[in-house]
Amino acid sequence: MMDLLQDVFMRHAILATFLAGVTCSCIGVLVVTMRISFIGVCMSHAAFAGALLGIILGVNPTVTALLLTLVSAGILGPLADRGNFSPDTSLGIIFSSSLGMAFLLLSIVPGPKTEALGLLWGNVLTVGRTDIFILAAVALAIVVLLRLFFKEIQAVVFNREMALASGIPATAVFYGILVCSGLTTVASLNAIGGLLVFSLIINPAAAAYQIASDLRSMFLISALFGVLSGWGGLWLSCLLNLPSGALIIVFSTLIFLGAAAFSSLARSRRNSVAVPYLKGERE
Amino acid sequence: MGSKVCAILADGINTAYHGLPVLQRFSLQVPEGELLGVFGPNGAGKSTLLKVCLGLVPPVSGNMRICGYRMIRENVPFVRKLTAYVPQSFDVDRRMPVMAAEVVMMGRFGRMGLFSRPGPNDHLAAGNALDMLGVGHLAERAFGRLSGGEKQRVIIARGLAQEPRVLLMDEPTNSLDWESQRRICRLIREVHTDRKLTTIIVSHDIDLLADTCDRIVLMEQGCIVMERDPSEFRHCCRGQAHS
Ligand SMILES: Nc1ncnc2c1ncn2[C@@H]1O[C@H](COP(=O)(O)OP(=O)(O)O)[C@@H](O)[C@H]1O
Ligand SMILES: [Mg+2]
Repeated sequence: MMDLLQDVFMRHAILATFLAGVTCSCIGVLVVTMRISFIGVCMSHAAFAGALLGIILGVNPTVTALLLTLVSAGILGPLADRGNFSPDTSLGIIFSSSLGMAFLLLSIVPGPKTEALGLLWGNVLTVGRTDIFILAAVALAIVVLLRLFFKEIQAVVFNREMALASGIPATAVFYGILVCSGLTTVASLNAIGGLLVFSLIINPAAAAYQIASDLRSMFLISALFGVLSGWGGLWLSCLLNLPSGALIIVFSTLIFLGAAAFSSLARSRRNSVAVPYLKGERE
Repeated sequence: MGSKVCAILADGINTAYHGLPVLQRFSLQVPEGELLGVFGPNGAGKSTLLKVCLGLVPPVSGNMRICGYRMIRENVPFVRKLTAYVPQSFDVDRRMPVMAAEVVMMGRFGRMGLFSRPGPNDHLAAGNALDMLGVGHLAERAFGRLSGGEKQRVIIARGLAQEPRVLLMDEPTNSLDWESQRRICRLIREVHTDRKLTTIIVSHDIDLLADTCDRIVLMEQGCIVMERDPSEFRHCCRGQAHS
């Protein structure tokens, strides 16, 4: 293990999974509580497609990924706003169409497709200095913004219309959240991959949602789960010699299942002690 | 302007959703300190009226003044801090990690402005609002797991914590059982006499409005078609229903 830690690739990988774990899981808290996962899915595919476009056009993939992500946020935000959008169907349509688009671009990529495929699955063991800097910058920005605007974010997460009506700039907060999720996706592209990043956004937050009693602790628990998934997946991938991105997702899914089991167990115990005569859960 | 400033002054308001008109040349004056009931069938535009008061739905034409301030773009954020809103429905997930006390404190956030944290005044106002609505014992409970009536009272407490000059309530007793309905009515009345707060209650429950309000207007298809004292109003509507 000591040998591994001294390895510069491994050090980068440990740092990158930590940063991606924290950023993705914090954004995930907002995506899960505001129920905008369909926007998140779309943005992660748009980031992937954008990066492919960059490879095809021979420009910096990060830049094109960012552009396409922000464009998709700019289209989906207002659509979701107007409410002529049923999350279920849109999720299906957006998921399949953006994925189809990405695969179409993938087939156009000239020459060997290793770089392009790397964007799909990600590989923490090959992230470079620049990737780490970008991840660190995004992580720092998001943590600072969360602290600065915590009360506004809390009110918007609770109910956007009421937040707006009480004089909070809820629309600006909402679009700020969309932009931050876009940035997170793009920054995690090389480490986690365009297909998998969304699971790292949702799973730790969904797990924290099962157990947290207030928003602040939900952020902390989710970040903890995110980092655990990242490091756990990395460790497993060294052990089994399998792709890290996929194992990170497997690990985060296990954490989610554990949290769900824990919360339902805790609740059934509480109910059976406090009100033994109640059959169902009280509404 | 007269000796008494109108808390709400709507003059010839027209609104539309996707080109379909809702409020049509709508005019209304609510003097300061009045408790006004707005009664009418579904789709009459009652909720839309409250949203226009909050600047959530911009009127196509017409003039709206809240506490003397014109509802123009620059004034909207300020006016929203003066008006508290209890929406018709607030669907909040059962697992939402927010406690009732935090929900009430959210009423203060707009007034506090960006970058500031709740101070002693804010805690005092939130605590008073919780007590006034009799939900102090629920402070530490998760909002999403409260019963319908408890949620409603917490949301009204949130509005009062804002220390508004105008309180707008959209069907505050909807989906509540009879006893909770009576209780909410009594509370609204108490709060009103206690704070001399200009209040609009939208409802399609005549008895609720007749028991609570100073004046009642009947809205149909985006206009006010009748305006009465509560006692006469009940009589009129019953009459209409029978004819
Ligand atoms: N967001 C919206 N988009 C489109 N139409 C709407 C919207 N909100 C309300 N309406 C329409 O406007 C009319 C008035 O609605 P509303 O003000 O909610 O009536 P009420 O509260 O009196 O039942 C209805 O016909 C309704 O269908
Ligand atoms: Mg309504």
